[in-house]
Amino acid sequence: MNADMQGWGVWLALSAACVGTYLCRAAGVKLSGHIHQDSEVFRWLSAVTYAMVAALTVRMILMPLGLLATVPMLLRVLICVLSLAVMVSSPQRRLVPALLTGTLLMLAYGVWRTSP
Amino acid sequence: MNRFANRREAFWHGIRDALGAPVLVLFAGMVGFGAMGRTHGFDAWMTGLTSLLMFALPGQVVMLEMFISGSSLLAIGFAVTLTSTRFVTMVVTLFPQLHRRDRNPLLYLWVHMLAMTAWAVSMREFPTISPKHRLSYFIGLALPCWLISPMGTVLGYFVAGWVPTAVTLGLVFINPLFFLLTFTDVKPWANRIAIGLGCLFGPVFYMFDADSSLLLTGLVAGTLAYFIDRRWLRPRPVEVQA
Repeated sequence: MNADMQGWGVWLALSAACVGTYLCRAAGVKLSGHIHQDSEVFRWLSAVTYAMVAALTVRMILMPLGLLATVPMLLRVLICVLSLAVMVSSPQRRLVPALLTGTLLMLAYGVWRTSP
Repeated sequence: MNRFANRREAFWHGIRDALGAPVLVLFAGMVGFGAMGRTHGFDAWMTGLTSLLMFALPGQVVMLEMFISGSSLLAIGFAVTLTSTRFVTMVVTLFPQLHRRDRNPLLYLWVHMLAMTAWAVSMREFPTISPKHRLSYFIGLALPCWLISPMGTVLGYFVAGWVPTAVTLGLVFINPLFFLLTFTDVKPWANRIAIGLGCLFGPVFYMFDADSSLLLTGLVAGTLAYFIDRRWLRPRPVEVQA
């Protein structure tokens, strides 16, 4: 495959991906017109959505692509548990401190790994 | 219920809520994506446009990975659309909460700014906002999230290489961590069970077929959670004995 062909391919792939993603959003708007928020369908769809989002989150943590995959699985899980502990340590939910805990621990691991 | 005096106040409050964890999370995730685009040899323009026009990080990553591994255009389009099916139900669970007057064709425009971050925050905040202010709050919240994304991506693209790996590592981790943390704020039991079951089933279905696993997990775990809640947990209406 020559460079030019590859250049076209990237743009085509991007267009296809953009159209597909927007169509999903638009389908949501279309369907939402027929759904009432007190209905059983709404409750069921909420559960389905949360399950999907949960599956996606777990996938990003347990089976990541790229850089995160170089961190041992046990360590990724351990940092998540520690951050969750910070989060639920207050009934008001400490979102930013919990985010910082996880990020800084991951950063610390990265520094420790690269140091001789 | 009347947290805001008018729509303008709701909009600005949305902006204020965005300029914290949500913008930080998207920015970090997109910096990570930009760096990924650079290391895989993509064009800066194309990497940035992906964030502006697709604005769905998991789909973006899938697209990059599949393109590199030489998948066909049809397969890429199909796989990305499958990972984006979550938007259908995200919109369907969020927009019916808007005021009747706001549920017009303009929503086809606003819906593009919806991502998991703004959705998670809106689902948490909407019950405390009166319906007529919800759309303004949502726009205030989602607009900065969307605008920061291409900027983060392009920045990530250009700093990749000279930023220490440790920093990039911390940045790419913020995204999944944020979603994990927001789960602790979910109140309805059906949704809590759905999250638990989704975490269990997700990896299992992923082993069978990666592309369709999200949709499949959502349908199986979500439906199961819905029935568990309906059968055992929901307070039953008091039966009057004749």
